[in-house]
Amino acid sequence: MNTQRIGAIFEKDLKDFMKNMMLLTMPIIPIILSLIYSRLGGDEGLPVPMLYLIVGVAFSSVTASSMMTMMAEENEKKTLRGLMMSPASFMDIIIGKSLVVGLMTLIALTLSLLFIGIEPFLKIQVIIGLVLLFLFFLFLGIGIGLFTKSVAATSAYLMPVMFLFGFTPMMGFLGLEEDSIVIKIADLFPLMQLINMHETESWMSMGVVAIWTLAAAIFTYICFKKERTDD
Amino acid sequence: MTGFILNCETGKSGTLPPISLSLNESSTTAIYSDTDMQAELIDAIQQNRNITVFNRKEGLYDRLTVMDNVTFYHKWFGCSVPLPEILVSFELQMCAKKPLKKCSQSEMSRVYYAKYFMMNPHPMVFQEPIHGVDIKTINTFINMLKKVADNQTPALILVSNMEHALLLSDITYKLQEKGLQEMEVDTGEKDEIIPETEPASTLTTAKLFKIPAKIEDKVILFDPMEIDYIESQDGKARIVINHESFSLDSTLAEIEKKLEVYGFYRCHRSYIVNLQKVREIITWSKNTYSLRMDNPAKSTIPLSRTKIQGIQDMFNLK
Repeated sequence: MNTQRIGAIFEKDLKDFMKNMMLLTMPIIPIILSLIYSRLGGDEGLPVPMLYLIVGVAFSSVTASSMMTMMAEENEKKTLRGLMMSPASFMDIIIGKSLVVGLMTLIALTLSLLFIGIEPFLKIQVIIGLVLLFLFFLFLGIGIGLFTKSVAATSAYLMPVMFLFGFTPMMGFLGLEEDSIVIKIADLFPLMQLINMHETESWMSMGVVAIWTLAAAIFTYICFKKERTDD
Repeated sequence: MTGFILNCETGKSGTLPPISLSLNESSTTAIYSDTDMQAELIDAIQQNRNITVFNRKEGLYDRLTVMDNVTFYHKWFGCSVPLPEILVSFELQMCAKKPLKKCSQSEMSRVYYAKYFMMNPHPMVFQEPIHGVDIKTINTFINMLKKVADNQTPALILVSNMEHALLLSDITYKLQEKGLQEMEVDTGEKDEIIPETEPASTLTTAKLFKIPAKIEDKVILFDPMEIDYIESQDGKARIVINHESFSLDSTLAEIEKKLEVYGFYRCHRSYIVNLQKVREIITWSKNTYSLRMDNPAKSTIPLSRTKIQGIQDMFNLK
């Protein structure tokens, strides 16, 4: 690992982020959504699943999507050719990009949570949960970004990620029965586990989210190995 | 750093001969070949993973400005030369604030040069580095080669244009199916022995003089004034008229004798140029010279250091 290189990538991608309309519009989505929801809530505040819906949207549309887009663009334009002299320098690129994505997610999430009321989230346990969730989406983004060859293809991969992991609380509105298999499976998803944890303060749910994050990390590692051996 | 030995096995299609070439660390080597042969050679070179070939095919960050791009590569490669010096030596200071997507091809090429220079691979291999760029950019490239030689990094240039090969390199090889062959180096001192021809006969027929060239079974007669320049290939002269070339049966020395009276000048060991059609005399920074022709192709012909005096005398230049 080389901090100078990580710094170089961070600086370059931050400048690029500011000039890329496709990336720049993504953080606006959760902010606008939270503005709309804050009008709906009234005085007693929004129910917890709605709060986590905003969190899910922020993570999927900012973290996963910008990571995928940034990596896919480098793949598409072959800008990384000649930059990667060793696997170590590849790690530098990913870390540098993750820092940019992390910064953008933090800004988007903080702003949107400020609109709908940030107080329920100012607890250590909740913050740890959010960090785990961030890592989960980040790993997903990196993994998918590794094998997408064009920016256009990322939207196809982004959709399932967004609907499955970002909009999980919406599953309840599908009109399915409480004990149907779909709801049971959806309840195991990271976002539902975090809602559960928020309401019951059980560390059990945290463990499930940690397993999800670990799985995403393994997925990223497999994609990375596959990419390395391909070329 | 020391020199580098380049070894290439026979190519897949079999046309590429096995090559073993040792690159000197303080001089620039060029290999001149046709484009098919060049592509095979590049393939063979890239078998060696440690060699990064310069070919301007990879992308740059075109939303960012020239300055941002160069700054990024400067940091990434941990280049020891200060950033302002890089910008000035690649003539990028004037367009530093311009986003890359608005830059001209020449400006882009200079960013590519800067990137490759900062990457500082060992050895440096360039594929068609000055194809389609302006004179200023060629000059920055020649300056870069000089710095590369000072850094004791061997450099190899692959071109399909002999003028470029002679302009850029100290040692030029020609790659053909039969193998690698060193081309005559223009030292100027050892002028070849010009075989004596009967001057009387050429002078009497001067007014009717045409140059015969063979194409398949036809013989075409060219008016000397049509000809842009004549180059030597494998000991045989070739007439070049804009984009087309026709081979002659005689050698360059014989032709030179005949065409002198028409204002043709032997400006290089392998070139005779029609002075009527010369538009510019370009002085490169390495104390090398080129002649730019006034034909639609705007060909640049190498002009030897030893021959510049003759041109200056002829045009009363000082």
